[in-house]
Amino acid sequence: MKINLLIKLTTIMIFLIGLFAMSGCATSSDAMVEKSGAQLWGENCARCHNAPSPSAFGDDEWETIGSHMRVRANINNSDMEKIVNFLQMAN
Amino acid sequence: MKLIQFSILVILGLQTTYYLSAQNYNDLKPGDSKFMLRGYAHAGLESSGDDLSFVGGSFNPIFLWQQNERLIFEGELEISANGEETEIELEYANISYMVNQYITLRLGKFLLPYGIFSERLHPAWINKLSTMPLGFGHHDPIGPTADYGVEIRGALPIQYRRIIYSIYATNGPALNNGMENSQEAGLLHYTRISDNNRNKAIGGRLGIFPFTDSSLELGLSGQYAQVGEDDTEFEEVRGMFSAVDISFIRSIPLLKSVIDIRGQYNSVFVDEAEYDQELDEHDEIHQFENLSSTYFGQVSIRPAYINTPILKQIEFVGRYSKLQTAEESPWGSEASQIAVGINYWLDWRSVLKFSYQINNIESTDEDLHGDDDDGHASESINGFYLHWAIGF
Repeated sequence: MKINLLIKLTTIMIFLIGLFAMSGCATSSDAMVEKSGAQLWGENCARCHNAPSPSAFGDDEWETIGSHMRVRANINNSDMEKIVNFLQMAN
Repeated sequence: MKLIQFSILVILGLQTTYYLSAQNYNDLKPGDSKFMLRGYAHAGLESSGDDLSFVGGSFNPIFLWQQNERLIFEGELEISANGEETEIELEYANISYMVNQYITLRLGKFLLPYGIFSERLHPAWINKLSTMPLGFGHHDPIGPTADYGVEIRGALPIQYRRIIYSIYATNGPALNNGMENSQEAGLLHYTRISDNNRNKAIGGRLGIFPFTDSSLELGLSGQYAQVGEDDTEFEEVRGMFSAVDISFIRSIPLLKSVIDIRGQYNSVFVDEAEYDQELDEHDEIHQFENLSSTYFGQVSIRPAYINTPILKQIEFVGRYSKLQTAEESPWGSEASQIAVGINYWLDWRSVLKFSYQINNIESTDEDLHGDDDDGHASESINGFYLHWAIGF
């Protein structure tokens, strides 16, 4: 019974991913603009906790925290570099 | 002669001091290696039933060592008081190597990407209530929380959205065969440093962000493992673990607030097995459908955009969770929990949490009060919690 449920859930997920991938071909004009470090900071940090204040840490510390969060939050390198650069400029 | 020697030493000392003090801080360039100590702590006052106590909570230091831009170590301890003793547990300790933009390799003990609560939401300053949802704690969870193994994880862009993934192999849970305590037959023990079989648990999580602002995340997790010990009658017993989760965080301009919705459903199914069970001094063979599940749903709202300084720091939160373990097992139980609370954020990582919680528990455990005619015991426990939590 539980295997059937898992298969159903997996099927739903694959369907959603497919729908999601296809809908990516019709994005709004807003979505076509590359995101800034500030945008990425607000969107990614809020997935788990309050967005950190840039003044909380120094430049070197933001680099280490960025590496740690990149692993924890599955953020790719280019997005994390933008976030760290934003925090370093704003602190 | 001695005076001349002494004078030379003093002059050299003064020159060295002058040279060091003349150096600008900016001349001292940092190296590639960086160390940080972070973590969190919490404590509070709890009133539950007839008990009213200040609790020490726990102190969780997190050690981060960045060897270079690709290699980083993370480790966390949980230090807590248990009666008169201090307990120290290793939450995780692992090394991550960033292979490229999309792939990170991780080895050691790590929090498993089984849903979102254990991996991301359990720290005291992130969890919006003072307690964990039923079945999501570190002790006696429904589903895996952390384990020893290897993992690859990352994010894959799809147009201006993305998918995040994790795939891992770990020691996996171990089946309690009831030989030492027949009342625990069929239970699973998680996070074992030594595996009870040569099989490795395989699992992973897939998360999608349907909206370009990443406000909504949907996740599906699964794990499959042999849980029975090798070379025993239980070696063919397998476990299947599945979870779905949802996160939605968005600003609502009309309400000048941020709304935060989270939820997760865990299911654990273990193959049927025959457990020797002593009941009333007669040996019996006990079989039951070994299916357990738990879920929680949580909503919080914070008027973060209103102009009043005090009100914008307040957050209202409510959570419902329900747990059901294998009904016909010796440890079968059903419990539900309603928790409502008000939080006051001192800053982005420090919070005072005040909550009221109602727990209803129904169990085959005879130690609970309120037996009914079916041999089940039920109990209702209400409690007030006032906690502070700080992340650093």
